[in-house]
Amino acid sequence: MSTDRTTLSFHVNGDPQAVAIPIHRTLLEVLRDELALTGAKKGCNTGTCGACNVLVDDVMIRSCLRLAVSVAECKVTTVEGLARNGMASAVQQAFLDAGAIQCGFCMTGMIVSASALLAQNPAPTRDEIRIAISGNLCRCSGYVKVVDAIELAASRFRQGNAAEAAAMEIRI
Amino acid sequence: MVAGMNAGLPKPSQVVSLQDIPGLRGMIVEADGAVRIAAMTVHAAVAAESRLAGGLAVVREAALQIAHPAIRNMGTLGGSLADADPNADYPCALLAAGADIELAGPRGRRICPVDAFFLGRFTTALAAGEIIVGVKLPPPALEETSTYLKFSRVDGDYATVSVAVRVGWRDGACTAIRIALGSCGGTPIRVPSAERALVGTKLDVAALRIAAGAYVAACDPPSDFRGTADYRRMIIPGLLERAVRNALNADRGIRS
Repeated sequence: MSTDRTTLSFHVNGDPQAVAIPIHRTLLEVLRDELALTGAKKGCNTGTCGACNVLVDDVMIRSCLRLAVSVAECKVTTVEGLARNGMASAVQQAFLDAGAIQCGFCMTGMIVSASALLAQNPAPTRDEIRIAISGNLCRCSGYVKVVDAIELAASRFRQGNAAEAAAMEIRI
Repeated sequence: MVAGMNAGLPKPSQVVSLQDIPGLRGMIVEADGAVRIAAMTVHAAVAAESRLAGGLAVVREAALQIAHPAIRNMGTLGGSLADADPNADYPCALLAAGADIELAGPRGRRICPVDAFFLGRFTTALAAGEIIVGVKLPPPALEETSTYLKFSRVDGDYATVSVAVRVGWRDGACTAIRIALGSCGGTPIRVPSAERALVGTKLDVAALRIAAGAYVAACDPPSDFRGTADYRRMIIPGLLERAVRNALNADRGIRS
């Protein structure tokens, strides 16, 4: 493997970043090891489990499968970037309220998948929700409450009363 | 490729990215109805292409069934073809569609028919220094339909067995048919003699049983954690009949 290094410039959760990295680092490794953003998890590291999901230019991808150099000048959003001013996003709050969390390892990837879904489809059916999280493995097998949580987030999003709207804004 | 690198398999000294070449993305429909899809077009874009209908729906349906949403946002048509995983969805679908694979290299461009492209497990007709630039799908005829039927253990897994069908139908009989079988050998397979025998028939159960028998005899399925070779041979006939029936009943309601 090459030992060449390069400087990667990109935006992470709204902030410009420039980090010197070996050219073969994955985006996931750079987020976790260089920027201390440990929300995206290294589960399988082969694209199967979904725990490393992030958004690149608003499109959900597996950060373990992207070489970091390929996101130069892109806008990366991690689960940390969904909260604002210390306030959980609609999806994050719904996961808390619905008790959708067991060991928590898959949860951040699930939340990214759910946020990407609701940004495109604010009124998903349960089947559409299941399809949206079909690439997220939960080894506690706690899928029912995850689907409940995403339904809850969607219903709050649609009701959109003022207090909740701020929390519900889906930021991607 | 990165998944393999993470697992310590390939250790490339150099990696050349094609992602910023604009000409390698997107789909166009030519005047005669032929469709060209550029190599770096992601699965999600192909899955959303309503212009892939009738005889070309098989390609859209395959794209929609590849893995999961995040993977479909990343994986590309050219990447899937070059990888030539015998269990992947695109190779089987493109074989049924009768695609031409467009290649480019230091000695210029050339066309490789899909029937000659897949040589074995993870092995293709690509020469050293060549890349896939796109595929060209033959224009769909007026009375053509197609479908991709994937049988897998769970949503998003590779197929245990898949069947792709492109069929022409006129005046109550089959005018042309291509059937490809996936996950049943080193490459997706066709049995042209069995296809020819179906032309002129009503694609009734008896005719399809004979064709399915030929596919069972011709394939060489693996025994692995998705199923034994015998299990795969056992389910091929039912899946092949269902795929043809689904194709005939697809969107245009050619046959009740």
